[in-house]
This record gives sequence, C-alpha cells and structure tokens, in this order.
Amino acid sequence: MKWKVYALIALAFVTVSSGLYKLSYEVQQLNGDLRNIRAQIKDNRQAIQVLKAEWAYRNRPDNLQALTAKYLPLLLVAPYQVASLEDLPERELSPEITSILGVPIPRRKPRLEIIEEVPLPPQGLHLATYQVQDRDLD
Amino acid sequence: MVEQQTIRLEGSAKEALELGRNRLVVAGVLFAFCFFVLAGRLVGLALTGIGQETDEHVAEVRPKPTQVVSGVRAPIYDRSGKLLAVTLDTVSLFADPSKVLDAREAAEKIVSVIEDLDPEQLERKLAANRNFTWVKRHITPTEQKAVNDLGIPGLFFREEEKRVYPMGPLVSHLVGYTDIDNKGIAGIEKYFDDQLETTDDKVGEPLYLSVDLRVQYALREELSRFMTVFQAIGASGIVMDVNSAEILGMVSLPDFDPNRPQDFPKDSKFNKATLGVYEMGSTFKAFTTAMALENRTVSLRDGYDATDPIRIAGFRIRDDHPKKRWLSVPEIFMYSSNIGTAKMAEDVGPKRHRAFLDKLGLLRRPVVELPEVGAPILPPRWNTLETMTISYGHGLSVSPLQLSSAISSIVNGGVFHNPTVLRRDVGEEVSGKRVVSKKTSNVLRRLMRLVVEKGTGRNANAEGYLVGGKTGTAEKAVNGRYKRDALVTSFVSAFPMNNPRYVVLAMLDEPKGNASTHGFRSAGWTTAPIVARLISRIGPILGVKPVDEESDAIRKAMHIPVYSREKKLATF
Repeated sequence: MKWKVYALIALAFVTVSSGLYKLSYEVQQLNGDLRNIRAQIKDNRQAIQVLKAEWAYRNRPDNLQALTAKYLPLLLVAPYQVASLEDLPERELSPEITSILGVPIPRRKPRLEIIEEVPLPPQGLHLATYQVQDRDLD
Repeated sequence: MVEQQTIRLEGSAKEALELGRNRLVVAGVLFAFCFFVLAGRLVGLALTGIGQETDEHVAEVRPKPTQVVSGVRAPIYDRSGKLLAVTLDTVSLFADPSKVLDAREAAEKIVSVIEDLDPEQLERKLAANRNFTWVKRHITPTEQKAVNDLGIPGLFFREEEKRVYPMGPLVSHLVGYTDIDNKGIAGIEKYFDDQLETTDDKVGEPLYLSVDLRVQYALREELSRFMTVFQAIGASGIVMDVNSAEILGMVSLPDFDPNRPQDFPKDSKFNKATLGVYEMGSTFKAFTTAMALENRTVSLRDGYDATDPIRIAGFRIRDDHPKKRWLSVPEIFMYSSNIGTAKMAEDVGPKRHRAFLDKLGLLRRPVVELPEVGAPILPPRWNTLETMTISYGHGLSVSPLQLSSAISSIVNGGVFHNPTVLRRDVGEEVSGKRVVSKKTSNVLRRLMRLVVEKGTGRNANAEGYLVGGKTGTAEKAVNGRYKRDALVTSFVSAFPMNNPRYVVLAMLDEPKGNASTHGFRSAGWTTAPIVARLISRIGPILGVKPVDEESDAIRKAMHIPVYSREKKLATF
C-alpha cells in the first residue's frame, strides 16, 4: 500500500518538474522569437523610411517636371482653360418635352394591364391630383 | 518454511530503542511536513502561475521592448505631408588594412562599385599599417550590397544615422541642416532642435511646415530663371497667405544642398529673405500712401506739385519717371513719384510716420520660427529729412519677410499677423492687430491694381488673376554711399485684388539690363515679369479662380478715380 503512495508522489514530482522545465524553455524560446520579430519590425520600419525618402526623392518637383516635359504635351494653364461647373451652359430642351415636364408621369409597369387610357387634358398636365378628380367627374 | 521469529527485548534495551524510534518519527514528521509544504507550493505555482507578486517580478524578467523607431530625429514635412527631411540608418564602410590581402586588387574592386572614390588614394589607405580606416561614410544600400557581393576580406560595415533631405536645395534655407552629430545648426532644424530630437526619455515630434512644395518649386524656378536672364548676383522671394500669414514659399538664391552643406560657400547659406535687410525703394510708397489716407492728411482727390525736385539739407529728391506737373495721389502712386510721396509724408510728420511703420512691424525684428532673422536698420535720428527719404524707401532697411507681412496687413483688410513657417489648422483663429481701416485697405488694393494696370508694374500682369503690386528700385548703399550701378529691384504684389489671398514678393540683387528690357534694369522691367509668370503658375495650384478682367463687375470693383489734371492734347 505504502509503495503506491510513494510511486504516486514520485510520479507527481517527475510530472511537475518536467512540466516546469519545458515551460521554462518554452518561455525562453518565445522570448527569443519576440526579440527576433521586434528586430524584424525595426528593420522593416527602417526599410520603409528609406523607401519613403526614395519616393520623396523620385517625386521631386524638378524630376516630375522633366518627366512631364518629356512625355506630356502640357503648357502653362491659361485663364480661359479654367472653368467651373456653373460655367457650363444649360441644356436646351425641345418645347414639346418642356410642355409635359410640368408633371412627372410614372412609367408604366409592363406587367400591369392598363384598363383605361386616361386622355390628357388639352391644356397640359398640372398637378398629380388633377387626373383623379377629372376621372371621378366622368 | 522458515519459522518467523520475534525478538523480544526487555528492560533498558527496549527503552533505548523506543527513544530512537520516537526521535526518528519526530524528525520524519518534520521533514515530511517541510516537503509537503514545498510540494504544495510547487503544485500551486504550476497550476496558478506566479500569483500576486507578478508585476514587479515579471517586469524584471520580461525582455525590454526594443525601441522600434530607434533613437532617430523626427522628420519634417511640408503642408501636404511631403517629406522634407528624414533620418535614415545608413552604413559606413571601413576597412581593417591588416586583414586586407591584396590592397591593389581590393581598391580596384571597390572603385568598380563605388565610383566616386580615388583608386590610388584608396590603395594607399588599404596598404597602410593600421587597424582601421574609413573607406566611405554613408554609402547607399545599393553600394552596400555591391560591396558585400565583392566578398573582400577586411572590409566591414558600421551602422550610422544620417539626416537626408530628399528635396535637395529646394527648401534649403527654410529647413536648414544638421551637423555630423545630427544637431540642427540652421533653419527649422536649429529652431526646433529640441522638439525634433529623440532622447532617452522622449521621442521626437515631426513638424509640418506651412510651405507648399509646388509653390516653393515654382518660386525657386522662376527666380533662378530671371536671375540668370538679368545676371543678378542674388534673388529672393516669398509667397505668403495674407489671412493666416503662413509662408507658402520662401526662396533665397544662391542656395545650397543641405545634404552636403560643406561643399557650398558661406554666402550661399545666407538667407536673403529673412536675414538680409535692404532698402526696399518705392514699395514703401504703399505704406506712405496708406498712412496719409489713414491719417486723413490727404484725400484721393488731392495731390502735390511734382514739377521740381525737392532740395532739403543738401539732398535732392528727384523722380525716376518725371512728369513735371501736379500729380494727384493715385498718380503719385501709379507713376512712383518720389517728390509727391516725400511731400505726402512730410504732411504726416516724422512722429506719426514712425508710429505707423512700427505698427506694421517694420521697425522691430520680426517674430518667426527661424533662427536667422535680421533686425531692421533704423536711421540714427528720424526727422523730416529721414521721413521724406523713408517715405519712398531709402534710409530704412528691412527684410523681405517684414515687407511681405506688412503688405499683407495692408491688403487683407488692415490686420497685422505675425508671419509663421508652421502649418496652421484649417479654420484656426489667427490673432492679429488692426493697423489700417478696412476702407484704407480697400483703396490701397485698388491703387496697387492701378499700378499693374496702367503704371510702372504693367509687366506683372498675370491675366485673369487681378494682380496688384508696387515696384521698388533702390540703389545699393555701399560704404555709406549709394552705388548708381548696383540696384536692388523688388516687386511686391498681391492677388486676386478684389479679395486678396496671397502676397508674392520677388527681389533681384544687382540685375543688369539686357536687350529684351531695352537696357532698363528697374523693377518694372526685371522683377515684375517674375511675378507675372509665377502667379500664372501658382494661381491654379492655390485654387484661385481666374476672372475676366474686362467684365463690368470686376471693372467696377477695381475702379479708382485718378483725378488727373494732365493737359490732354486737343483732338479733332
């Protein structure tokens, strides 16, 4: 009976100590990884800084101007070339369209059967309610 | 089977045995208790972790976070975030000559990848009887790789930091530069050295300047073009926002490359725009006229007789473009009459003149975030004679920066703001103090427009941008005498004049006339065209919409009666 207790204790001892041993090595390993990753981040940030400086250097205005002069037929902007949206002329509409533009007519849905064609009032449409009233009077 | 025998002890032997056993049990229980406690603690630790005493303990054990942006100086950006200065980790190449096997071969190989080295000098270095010699400081990553690929024994790299200015000479005077230890020694780098620097207890803070790289480039290009055309020995220019007093562009030529400042002479590092003070000439007439109108000593309808030169205290005040007749105030301004302006200032008097120029910040060292700021040179006494000469810009030396901030306060509705080279936030309230009334400011806008439309500044007209300005041609004072053949020509302008947004100042040092200017070298011929070209370039960039200058609305807004009494020839 007693040896069982001893064996149990010994087993527990071995398990716990080996567990701790592994844990400690794992922590060391992770610490090393962390250090590596941090070093990599630092290197990458430095590389980004270098690339940013390179980008700024390549985008110097004189460089860009030389390139545009080479590839694009651009001249100084003359005042007449600058315009805003308001300067655009208003679109001309034909008179027949403007006559029915008073009221927007909903488009017919193709699936719906229109039972009755409502005749347009002779003087043009005015209000959406006008049609209904007109029909009731009929 | 062996019969089990029990030994029985009696008497003293039994007692001794009993005692021994008791002692053993006591010791055993004690040890068992100790081990039990230890085992319990062990299990407890394994299960729950370290428990309460974590923080301090773990902080000691935990690896220190490596500073990700290692102790570098913070970058400097322009107003739109374009990089102007940055610190890079570079490598320097050094050699241990005692480990170099064949100095000649090594030198040849190195020169084949780093071209700007002298092979013979390098060979001598590598053959020397030493343990250390620099081959080249701050080599590029490409060079580093190339050298590494050569695989020459005895060559090593050392990591270093270097301040890099990708824009080269473009913003040199404004940004300044640092010494070999990355300490700012000029410009923004010096003024904001503490803020940019990264030390053990703080990380440097990046700076956003008010300068707009596109404007700066246009300004520098136009100035250097015209500097060459007129063979000037120097040039400077400023573009400034009139409402926030932000400096969008500031150039002083000749300039230098801050990446290698030691290769440039000292005078190219001199910032003409802030540190240099000059007698500005007729541009001061804008201040005199504003002052006279503000103090109501004269109205637009009035004028002065400019027929004869003024003689005072042995001096003679003459006109450069003499009209030899009575001139109204707008005419005096338009034709840049020294005689008329001097009389106008005389009526105001030296005391009020001085106080007015002081309000415009022309008599004190301007406040701006740069170490190189020049103080104005005031005359030793300030009486009627001085007032008369200063009225047309002689006798008082100010820097271009002071001139442009004073002009912007005149045209922006009459409020003076301290100039700044740092970006202001959109909608930030800018404090200022009123120097002239809105009405005077409005009249001066029209007068300055008149100069460009009909007067001495016609060459500055950038069509569509309603440029208004004032020419200024001053003789250089050398050893207490004015040199007739050395001029400083300047043109200070604002646009668009119906609602001024930007002030543009251009200045040439000792321009020479040429065939295209019919030999003239006054400001109207030499510096006004700079402004015209510059404004048509930067107008679209700054979002100023060109207007039709001939339209009725603009004509009405810019109208100013001239009240001329010129006798027109009778026409039939």
